[in-house]
Amino acid sequence: MSSAQANAVRATAAPETAEPMVDVREVRKVYRRDAEELTVLDGIDLQVPAGEFVALMGPSGSGKTTLLNLIAGIDRPTSGQVIVAGTDVARLSESELAKWRSRSVGFIFQFYNLIPVLRAVENVELPLLLTRLSKKERRERALTALKVVGLADRSGHYPRQLSGGQEQRVAIARAIVGDPSVLVADEPTGDLDAKSAEDILALMETLNREFKKTIVMVTHDPRAASRAHVQHHLEKGVLKGD
Amino acid sequence: MKFLPFVLKHLRRNWIRTLSTVLAMAVCIFLFCTLQTILASINGMLESSSATRLISRNAVSLVFNLPLSYGARIAAVPGVKRVATTSWFGGSLPAKKEGKAEEGSETTTDWSQFFPNMAVDADPYFAMYPEFEIPPDQYKAFKEDLQGAVIGRKLANKFNWKVGDHFFLESFIPPYRKKSGPFEFTVRAIFDTDAVKHPNTDTGLMLFHYKYLYEGTGQHISAGTYNIEIDDPSQAGAVSKAIDAQFENSDAQTHTETEQAFAASFIAMAGNLAFLLNSIGLAVSFTILLVTANTMSMAVRERRTEIAVLKTLGFSSMHVMGLIVAEAIALGAIGGGLGLSGSQGLMYVLTHAPGIKDMLAGIGLSELHLKPAIAALGFSVALGLGFAAGFVPAMNAYRARITDMLRTV
Repeated sequence: MSSAQANAVRATAAPETAEPMVDVREVRKVYRRDAEELTVLDGIDLQVPAGEFVALMGPSGSGKTTLLNLIAGIDRPTSGQVIVAGTDVARLSESELAKWRSRSVGFIFQFYNLIPVLRAVENVELPLLLTRLSKKERRERALTALKVVGLADRSGHYPRQLSGGQEQRVAIARAIVGDPSVLVADEPTGDLDAKSAEDILALMETLNREFKKTIVMVTHDPRAASRAHVQHHLEKGVLKGD
Repeated sequence: MKFLPFVLKHLRRNWIRTLSTVLAMAVCIFLFCTLQTILASINGMLESSSATRLISRNAVSLVFNLPLSYGARIAAVPGVKRVATTSWFGGSLPAKKEGKAEEGSETTTDWSQFFPNMAVDADPYFAMYPEFEIPPDQYKAFKEDLQGAVIGRKLANKFNWKVGDHFFLESFIPPYRKKSGPFEFTVRAIFDTDAVKHPNTDTGLMLFHYKYLYEGTGQHISAGTYNIEIDDPSQAGAVSKAIDAQFENSDAQTHTETEQAFAASFIAMAGNLAFLLNSIGLAVSFTILLVTANTMSMAVRERRTEIAVLKTLGFSSMHVMGLIVAEAIALGAIGGGLGLSGSQGLMYVLTHAPGIKDMLAGIGLSELHLKPAIAALGFSVALGLGFAAGFVPAMNAYRARITDMLRTV
């Protein structure tokens, strides 16, 4: 996708004037090991408008996954603000953050991370266990999510009975079942063959286009990144721009 | 409850490990409940003893008897109310039902029908055991018949004996055997007891005239023990001392103690049973705690990524901790349930298997059954062990950071 096309999509998906869905301000992340300090993110500023599909690229150790984890609320910045869907994530307590994650963020892992003892539909249903929905409602929603990713006929299969691409689809269904505001994906095609990767990217595009999901994706793969509307490059903890 | 299927599914993740842990837990609870039941039965036996009753036996060992002349001398000790000569007969029903064996022939003993039986001085003995409730007319008939026997209700029911029935007993103790064959008895009285006032009183025993034994054996026997009733229970120590002092310089020194202490020392002939049984229970429980803790640690360790995923999906640390503890408790509950069933099954076999049940009844353990309190305690121990085993891994999962766990492969 060209830059002009990306800008066009951005314009239709979210007006520039709207408050960004993800607003990262002056974020630093420093890891301390004994006396040594390792700065992984150094003054990052990033705004992702609602409905945007953003790719974060960069070499290993550049801080992509760390930034993604901060956006997903599974890590906290050393300083700065991470505001996602209007909530300053860093200000929340552990339990508030857990609740917030269950409502606001869907996470797609590189290695799918499905629970092997649960069937596909049960894996998708898992986040809904934290809601007040009845068993029937949970099951209906899980099946709907599986339908969206094209795996309704595999709902009773265990992860070991599915291909890598199908497992990732189930993982995506699990990520969207709670209807989160933001989807974050950490190298979602990194463990897949070209055909499956293509299918997964097409699915993510559909989620972005038709379901208006804001997606932040970390990837090494330029082809995968090209499917995003905007690409950001990180190097040594610093954002280099589109 | 909506998390229960999730917890149970995790138990099925590694069948062999789950099964071995559950079995280990089951063995632990089985042993715990079985040993505690035996201890409770023994304690019940001891509790049925009265504080106003003493027993004087040969100081060397219960195996040796005391001279018959001691009875009158003990009765003369201040504080002693009455004295009864008592001898544990050790009789069992001969396999040859007709009873009297031919002269010189060996009579086969039927051990499977064994029950406690004692020769006693009727009047003083029954006077000091008011818990044995005998109808007066039956007691009168018993007193008038030298071959008469008083049997407990349980024993009567067991053999379907009624007043007037005859039976034969042959002792395994050589001095209590006679060449002419087994002793013949006639049921003259059946005693009951108030189960509310005296819940531990055994009605599975039989009592008969000491005089019958004495004369039947050619007046060669002496007294097994002396049962003594005292006026004041608080003086039990002083009276015991005074009795033993009387025979300090004799060939057959006495050792006098309360009925409870006597029963306890009788049981303690097999060693310090309570200590032994409790030690075994404790050692097994501790071992199972380690086994289960190890299982849970391994289970949690290999699921670090899944725990991270759960937390990422929005499960709080408390949720995750609860799921792990619940899994460990479920292991404990399943193992505990199996252990309880096993213990209950063993009790049933012991109290119903021919031979074994009578042998147990012979040593006063006829009421061997898993009491609800012990079952509840055993199950609580299982749940407690499960909780203790799961707590540390659960705490680790509680504290672990998502990003750290996701990094672990």
